[in-house]
Amino acid sequence: MKNRITVLFVLVLVLLLLSPVFAAGTKEAAGPVNLTFVETITSPSRTAQIMELIAKYEARNPNVKINLVSPPYEQSDNKLTLMLNSNQELDIIEVRDHTVKQFVNNKKLVDLTPYLAAWDEGDDLLPLTIAAANTVDDTPYLLPQFFYVKGLFVRTDVLAKYGFTTMPKTTDELYAMSKAITGKDRNQYGFGFRGKGSSFKISDILILSDVPNISADNIYQTEDGRFAFSTPEARKAVAAYVDLYKHAVPSDGVNWGFSEQVNAFISGSTPFLVQDPDTVGMVADALDPELYTVIPMPIGASGKTYLDYGFAGLGIPTTSKHPDLAWDFISFMINAENNADFCKVYGPLPVHTSTYANDPFFSSGVYKSWETEMSDPDNYVFVKYPLDSPKYPGWAQVQEQTMQSLLLGNTTVDQAIKSWEDYWK
Amino acid sequence: MEKNHYRWMLVPALLFLLLFIYIPVARGAVMAFQHYNLFDLSTLRFNGLDNFKAVITDKNISFAQILLNTVVWLFGSLIFQFVLGFGLALLLRKPFAGRGLYTAFVFYGWALSGFAIGLTWAWLFNGQAGLVNDLLIRIGILKQPIGFLSNPRLAMMSVIIPNIWYGVPFFGIMLLAALQSVPNELYEAAVLDGAGSVRKFVSVTVPYIKPTIVSTILLRTMWIVNFPDLIYAMTNGGPVNRTNILATQMINKVFKEYDYGQGSAIGVIIMVLLFVYAILYLKIVEDSKEELL
Repeated sequence: MKNRITVLFVLVLVLLLLSPVFAAGTKEAAGPVNLTFVETITSPSRTAQIMELIAKYEARNPNVKINLVSPPYEQSDNKLTLMLNSNQELDIIEVRDHTVKQFVNNKKLVDLTPYLAAWDEGDDLLPLTIAAANTVDDTPYLLPQFFYVKGLFVRTDVLAKYGFTTMPKTTDELYAMSKAITGKDRNQYGFGFRGKGSSFKISDILILSDVPNISADNIYQTEDGRFAFSTPEARKAVAAYVDLYKHAVPSDGVNWGFSEQVNAFISGSTPFLVQDPDTVGMVADALDPELYTVIPMPIGASGKTYLDYGFAGLGIPTTSKHPDLAWDFISFMINAENNADFCKVYGPLPVHTSTYANDPFFSSGVYKSWETEMSDPDNYVFVKYPLDSPKYPGWAQVQEQTMQSLLLGNTTVDQAIKSWEDYWK
Repeated sequence: MEKNHYRWMLVPALLFLLLFIYIPVARGAVMAFQHYNLFDLSTLRFNGLDNFKAVITDKNISFAQILLNTVVWLFGSLIFQFVLGFGLALLLRKPFAGRGLYTAFVFYGWALSGFAIGLTWAWLFNGQAGLVNDLLIRIGILKQPIGFLSNPRLAMMSVIIPNIWYGVPFFGIMLLAALQSVPNELYEAAVLDGAGSVRKFVSVTVPYIKPTIVSTILLRTMWIVNFPDLIYAMTNGGPVNRTNILATQMINKVFKEYDYGQGSAIGVIIMVLLFVYAILYLKIVEDSKEELL
């Protein structure tokens, strides 16, 4: 009797273990085609909006079913990387500026050239969109869906309180106004500092905009091949940035991440905030529109501002069995109409030329500042972080710790720059 | 023949352990000796001790500082968690009205995620608008708010405090359960022998629940060393690397830099250190038992 029970038990176990194999064998036989879509910039409201677009697509294409996978934001890039490296069958994935090189290195993305060439909306894409698509090996491995570009958020009411009626046009003006407003005894400070969590994305733009000849391919290099921070202009700018921290920022700013930064802006304790357009929604929920505005980033001593464009888009993994259908869905998600709707709710900048021309939403109000930045190449020069360098992923931590050390007076400007130069060597 | 059946019954559990614990651990240990970076898997190769070398000689993120931080983080948290948890268990031992409800409230913290606790405490300790600063200023202890998380001297203390808060219920639950198993006769006998409450505590309570004390301290040690969530949410290892422990640096290597090789090297270092610690600890505990007898 016991023998039989054991045999039965083992049999059930084996069947259980094998059940995915049987299921996989029968899935394709009947019913609609299933496409798996993995998003990575997961947030509840954004996921809801993607679901809406999926429903719209499925209503038009009853033979296709899209399964959305939404890993929690903190682990999403890693989760997707692991899914790709274990060759799971995925069809559409959200690729980000800092993951595209890695995916291409590991041969996980399909070249989208033929699809883009045949797409009737291909000519409508912004030059920036094309550049972002071709980030790696000059080959479009993704279709960008939106951009993040920095703008300067300003609390006009706080400025008015201290008698300022004009907006800062240069970095020097921004720093001077921030310091003039600051009164530590009344808990008033000028600048919404970023001390942790990719803090370099704010500090390095402000600092390096003083350097006249930054290379468009790598923000940390000059056109004549020098390390950007080692130039005399950058040395001075780093010192000015430290001075800004000392005289216009709460000492706690060293530990400020995104939420502390935005919170200080909303409470009015720091009326200047450098942030991306996806912050607009959060600020708009908390503040009346007459209390704040967004203006283009201040111009550096070089007469220009170097801006990086953060982006994310959709790509097709090489494991997909239905790349043509996947492209059909991608081209639907990112057609001009859906892309504009998506960006209106989510916040960042859309990717089609026609959207800016036709939709007043993106050329008026706070979005006016980003339109200016994107259409004035003399003053606003787009540059790239060295995304394809294997050292880039480690830069955030090294910059954060060395910059904190500099801000807290443990190291000198020269020592900090030396450690950055050594890192990038 | 009959015996063999029982052996077979162990197979599923063993398979499970092998598949989900031993193989991944072995895989991680192997990875520590490989150049294994998701950034470019085509460069995957064995590289000897390079990962350990890179981690230990990192110029920007001092390994000595990380080790020191880990030790301070461990003992700063463990000692207070234990003392307060033991006190809590003693307080909750005698029945009083509403004890069940009170116990549930006290132990609630244990059920929260470390990351969520970290975010909450980061706001409490905020150097500008934080509740702690506000209270201290209102009471008159402080004149100006201080940066609990941005001052390198205070940061470690400020992440240890929530960790103590988080760990106290664990010791409370475990020691309370142990206390409730001490037979009353022992106390009665002690009273007959003329023992006061201190004597009862030292000669009856502690020896009786010692196995629980020993095992909970060992467990908690491992958990504290492997608990990066709070620090990750509150300071990200800063300011100036002052709250960076081995576990947070491992997370940084794996999740931020995609460097599974160096991450695993740190993992192996943690494993070896804990192993040595456990042996020494159990040896000391054994020795002290002999002394008592």
